[in-house]
Amino acid sequence: MATTTATITLSSTDLLSDELALTTTATLTTAGTATGVTQASGLSRKTTSAASAAAIQANVLYRAGDYTANGANKVYIKNTSSVVAEYYTVHVDQEQIGRLYAGDWMLMPWSAVSGTKQVFTVTFASTWVAGETWTFDGITMTCPSATVADLAAEVHTLNYPNWTTTYGGSGAAVVFTARYASDATEVVYATADATIVSANPGTAAISAAAVGSASESDITIRPSVHTAMTYETMLIHE
Amino acid sequence: MATTTAAVTLTSDLLSDAMSVTASTTCMKAGTTADGLDQLEYAVVEIATGDEYDLICSTPTASKASKLYVKNHSIDETYFVAITQNAQAIGRLYGGDWMFIPADFHDAAGDIAITSNGGTNKIEYALFHEGTALTAT
Repeated sequence: MATTTATITLSSTDLLSDELALTTTATLTTAGTATGVTQASGLSRKTTSAASAAAIQANVLYRAGDYTANGANKVYIKNTSSVVAEYYTVHVDQEQIGRLYAGDWMLMPWSAVSGTKQVFTVTFASTWVAGETWTFDGITMTCPSATVADLAAEVHTLNYPNWTTTYGGSGAAVVFTARYASDATEVVYATADATIVSANPGTAAISAAAVGSASESDITIRPSVHTAMTYETMLIHE
Repeated sequence: MATTTAAVTLTSDLLSDAMSVTASTTCMKAGTTADGLDQLEYAVVEIATGDEYDLICSTPTASKASKLYVKNHSIDETYFVAITQNAQAIGRLYGGDWMFIPADFHDAAGDIAITSNGGTNKIEYALFHEGTALTAT
């Protein structure tokens, strides 16, 4: 079992009448157990910048949908700047946690509560001919044969930037699931959102679509200035 | 000015190579590198399972550089306290866990709230801040 520890030392010789010297170490375990956490994102470092102050955008550090909800996840963030005016404002979903000023760091537990993901089913039917195509999410499936089950299987082999697929191993239907939870106001996907290039009457009907709901605890940080600022972060998770 | 230092060390053998991350910061007031945070609320409380409580009873001056340290002293690994802000789930501190975050207290909805789960959790917390909006009697 891996052992991961987090030690904090808070010290001051002149804040109180007596010296403040607080040190504690936590051995990080999975939720409700004595088993050590087993996964970490690794320490990463990124510089943020924008063309102008008006163009400053928040950076998504971690998406809740990628991690175990209500686990004993821990997020470490450090602002490496040494300039007073350069701070990052940390949000969980839309709640502002606080500002990490120059040199500041934080270690925060993270619930990673996600929303739900959109889902739809595409079903291939009628006459298709090898070489014809179906394009969705920027990815084109080229028909391998005239058998619709082969089309579905081929669709499932491809990698979509915003969707994952589920295929039962037979049949003509593939279920698409969004990679990230999104707000319920999103449009339900329909047949017309994909493009068929076919001289034949082949169809690829999108049905059984369901909208999702917004993620509830993505972590974002927004830099205070548009000039280059750098942060470090690591996620220790289940 | 007071000088308060917060240092962290994260170590792990999770990865192929040993990980050891260290960081240290001197807790300053907002927008300065010359004037340290000079006020502190420090307490230990026992919180019974059930209701949600605001951890900080007064309102520290908003949008400053306050830092909040919280530790759950429970020794039962199934016990935890849920940390929320304005009903937004932040995370869970299981027995032995601690957290150290910038606490903005940007408005009345920015209070950090805590709910005990599993049983009575003993919580230690320290808020380093720049001032408090006192309520007149």
